[in-house]
Amino acid sequence: MLNLLWLAPALPLTSAVLLAIFGSRWPRKLVSLAGVGSIGLAAVASMLVAWSFLTAPPPGNAFVLPLWTWMAAGSFRPEFGLYLDPVSLLMLLVVTFVGFLIHLYSTEYMRGDEGYARFFAYMNLFVASMLLLVLGSNLLVLYMGWEGVGLCSYLLIGFWYRDAANVRAANKAFLVTRIGDTAFAIGLFLLFTQLGTLDIQQLMQRAQSQWPAGSTLAIAAAALLLGGAVGKSAQLPLQTWLPDAMAGPTPTSALIHAATMVTAGVYLIARTHVLFTLAPEVQLVVAVIGAATLLMAACSALVQRDIKRVLAYSTISQIGYMFLALGLGAWSAAMFHFMTHAFFKALLFLAAGAVIQSLHHEQDMFRMGGLRRELPVAFWSFVIGGSALAGLPLLTAGFFSKDLILWQSWAGLNGSIWFWLCGMLGALLTSLYTYRLVFLVFYGTAKSHVSERPGLAIKLPLAVLCVLSIFAGYLDTPPHFGGVPRLSNFLNSTLPALEEVHVGPVITEVTTALTASLVFLAGFSLAYLLYYRRRVEQPAESALARFWAAGWGFDTLYSWIFVRPFVWLAEVNRRDIVDSLYTALASLTQASNGLLQRTETGHVRWYASGLAIGSAVFLGLVWWMR
Amino acid sequence: MTASDLVALSPLILLSATALVVMLSIAIRRHHGASATLALLGLAASFASLRWAASVTPRQVTGLLLIDGYTLFYWGVLLALAAAVVLLAYSYLEHQTGHQEEFYCLMLLATAGGLVLVASSHMASLFLGFEILSVSLYALIAYLHLQRLPLEAGVKYLVLAATSSAFLLFGMALLYSETGSMQLATLARFYMGAPNAALGAAGWAGTVLMLTGIGFKLAVVPFHLWTPDVYQGAPLPTTALVATISKGSVFALLLRWFHPAGSLAGTPVWWAFVIMAAASMLAGNLLALRQNNVKRLLAYSSIAHMGYLMVAFVAAGPLAVQAATYYLLAYVITILGAFGIMSVLCSGEEECCELEDYRGLFWQRPVLAAMFSAMLLSLAGIPLTAGFLGKFYVMAAGASSALWLLLFVLVASSTIGLYYYLRVLVVLFSSLPEDHVKVMLPRGRVPAGAGFSLAVLVILLFVFGLYPAPLWDLIRGISAGIG
Repeated sequence: MLNLLWLAPALPLTSAVLLAIFGSRWPRKLVSLAGVGSIGLAAVASMLVAWSFLTAPPPGNAFVLPLWTWMAAGSFRPEFGLYLDPVSLLMLLVVTFVGFLIHLYSTEYMRGDEGYARFFAYMNLFVASMLLLVLGSNLLVLYMGWEGVGLCSYLLIGFWYRDAANVRAANKAFLVTRIGDTAFAIGLFLLFTQLGTLDIQQLMQRAQSQWPAGSTLAIAAAALLLGGAVGKSAQLPLQTWLPDAMAGPTPTSALIHAATMVTAGVYLIARTHVLFTLAPEVQLVVAVIGAATLLMAACSALVQRDIKRVLAYSTISQIGYMFLALGLGAWSAAMFHFMTHAFFKALLFLAAGAVIQSLHHEQDMFRMGGLRRELPVAFWSFVIGGSALAGLPLLTAGFFSKDLILWQSWAGLNGSIWFWLCGMLGALLTSLYTYRLVFLVFYGTAKSHVSERPGLAIKLPLAVLCVLSIFAGYLDTPPHFGGVPRLSNFLNSTLPALEEVHVGPVITEVTTALTASLVFLAGFSLAYLLYYRRRVEQPAESALARFWAAGWGFDTLYSWIFVRPFVWLAEVNRRDIVDSLYTALASLTQASNGLLQRTETGHVRWYASGLAIGSAVFLGLVWWMR
Repeated sequence: MTASDLVALSPLILLSATALVVMLSIAIRRHHGASATLALLGLAASFASLRWAASVTPRQVTGLLLIDGYTLFYWGVLLALAAAVVLLAYSYLEHQTGHQEEFYCLMLLATAGGLVLVASSHMASLFLGFEILSVSLYALIAYLHLQRLPLEAGVKYLVLAATSSAFLLFGMALLYSETGSMQLATLARFYMGAPNAALGAAGWAGTVLMLTGIGFKLAVVPFHLWTPDVYQGAPLPTTALVATISKGSVFALLLRWFHPAGSLAGTPVWWAFVIMAAASMLAGNLLALRQNNVKRLLAYSSIAHMGYLMVAFVAAGPLAVQAATYYLLAYVITILGAFGIMSVLCSGEEECCELEDYRGLFWQRPVLAAMFSAMLLSLAGIPLTAGFLGKFYVMAAGASSALWLLLFVLVASSTIGLYYYLRVLVVLFSSLPEDHVKVMLPRGRVPAGAGFSLAVLVILLFVFGLYPAPLWDLIRGISAGIG
């Protein structure tokens, strides 16, 4: 049964190719069937694989499906193979299952669009690439998937390409992530030249045996990989592209820019955690980046008007939590939060899509309101998804996964009071901006007219995701609540177990959970007071709010540091200075041609003199040299 | 002279006899086809007798001619080239007014001169071969004597070739006075600075004067000035003859003379060759750069190609001879093909050799245009063609002798050369001009003989470019004796 693994990436890929070629001529039904069916079948295949993996674990709890040798050039012979272990299995299930739900949702959301087949071709290609990324046994295969998802992200952000702003957003996303990708590529070169292989498992073994902890090479390799991860996962300082990426269709935002692709950086670091363990400094940097990003993005989320941008900043912030967990050495906690986040963030985005569609593509929250009765499904989705995001104690999945990270931020290897405080402050802000959104959109007076109500293809995925957002947390419940950390145990065959280095005196597991609950309540109450009781009708206009709304001015900063000087240079060098060298060469050649042409006079007397002069010259030469 | 000597000489004898037979047949009855057929048959018989001659070689026939594997190889090449020229000339001359038959007689004589040159081991035979070749060429160049350009070219060539012969002759006299020998092999030993055989001032001067004569025939800088005028004026088959048989035989002689065991490197005459090589490569390519007449363009390009050949020539060791031979072969095949295609295209009395005449040729005569492109690519040294491998071997020979400066010039000038070859290619494939009037061979068919020889040339071009091993082995075998 494990051998079915190849079907998971192959089915969406086939469908993507078919849709790209024939899609425009196929009827919509067939397009939907291919687009959704391929992902559905991939999900079924993944579940069969998972069932077989769980009931009869392969030796070493890892399964390798070698497919072919990509190329053979000297010692460089990357194997094209798929690698399945608990971590990639978790990713596989989430990607195919959430992907399937979002595809199903898209059949209704995108139904009126002229690029219907194109949309599904891109989406299928995305899923195929993502699965390659997740399953690749070789860093090169992973990199291929990595670039593939980057491409699909670009294509889907600019999906409505007739609007120049969308195209600019797509370009921005592509260019900014490219910086990270380049660092990643250099990291691959470094790993290959130093360790002689790109097979991930061999790489990790060799790194462990050849590089002492804290060695320069390990630090360089880990830092370069971190560069890639930071770009893809929209962490500081490369986070600027994600809010703009909301220009794409909402299902895209749900699938790519919330649930799956942006967590590729988290996956990459977890996959190569050995390198990061060997480079403790870099690991600490990961934690610091995570903590800083989660606070920064949460502040920005607080002051957005656009419903999707709130969710975008919230995604950045939540991935910040995952990075924090990675940096703390709480690898499985990061993966756990990845999973719950995938569910509730997909749910929130899809629900937001339902709202937006019902309101004629209105995205400004200050023009919404009172939708609680009009759109009950969206409302309840937001309540459940938002509560999971904010971490409603004990009832929601988000609480358990975030609580684990918060606890580890004190107790973990790199844990400190500062990380713990950052995490708590982030939780407060999360709760605040989440309920701000809920109160603004669903309470108060209705300001827009609801034109249509979501159909079954939208309601069904929302319902399933609601269930998952509530119950997925019970996979891994902390022992002091009488639970069993099943997921952590499952992942521990691949990832190091969670350690508890600092315990107490004040901060214990119980006090952490209690503080988190209090913080949740505080955020909720604040939102209730500000946006329900007093009903703030206008967004804050203070300088700080503007600063936060603009994403802490990073766009302006980058514009001044990079974009403007570059454009200026390009303007100055309009006539390419390097070209002038070649132009000079060409003119020199032309000039010599003109000069020599004069020797061809057509006169015999001159030609004969040429003979004589030539002889004389050579006679002189011979005389001189003799 | 023994019977074996006659056997060894049989290709030369048969060729000369054919020239006579053609002459006699013309005296009896003029018939274009018959003359051409006779010439072809004679060339074929001569070619066939190479095998027979090979049974008695290597052999010094009298003091004048040395018949060995090297000689026979080049004889074979020259005879095959002559046969191709006959086929091309037949279709070309069909369109010309005036007598056609004498062309073959003269052409066979020129080839015989080339054969003598290749085999000569003595100054007397060298001069004889030189003159037989030159005198035939005077008439061949001015063959269409009723037209202005061929006549002018013929006269120019006559005056200049005679001058160069004077240089050659005077150089021989000086050398003889100094060394007392007219054997080329003996002279070569003087250049190498053999013990108690240093060359005096008169000897070096004589050598330089002889090189003037030889350089004129090869058209290397600074003795190249005549080339474009003569190439342009001569009828196309003659141009092909000058470019292949004349230059090929002279170069084969030069190779044999200066490349016995040992090295010239560092001697004054070696430096003279180095300067000729560099100057030819640069000047040839630069001159061709903005040329709008394809014949003149190919004339300039031939100067450059002789420069490339010289690079292999000044390199030392066996690789040099092999590389030079391979390059020469690749070059004559290519240039003969190019001129052959032009001669097939030029129907009517008017030759159409302006670049503009070729605009959009591909859309009218795709096969011929494709063949022409292949020839141009080979001249430019693009992979898959014989020209590329030739250049590769030349570079290899140069690199093995560490001639870095020459190689740099070679690379730089090849790059310049690419420009004008591609320029012609662009014209071939560009769309037809709106007011297109001049149509080359609109419906006509390529004559069978010319078409056959062109097809063979194109095939050889690719075979030697893709699978050089057999030819390379052959060349290694024949050059073992002299390299």
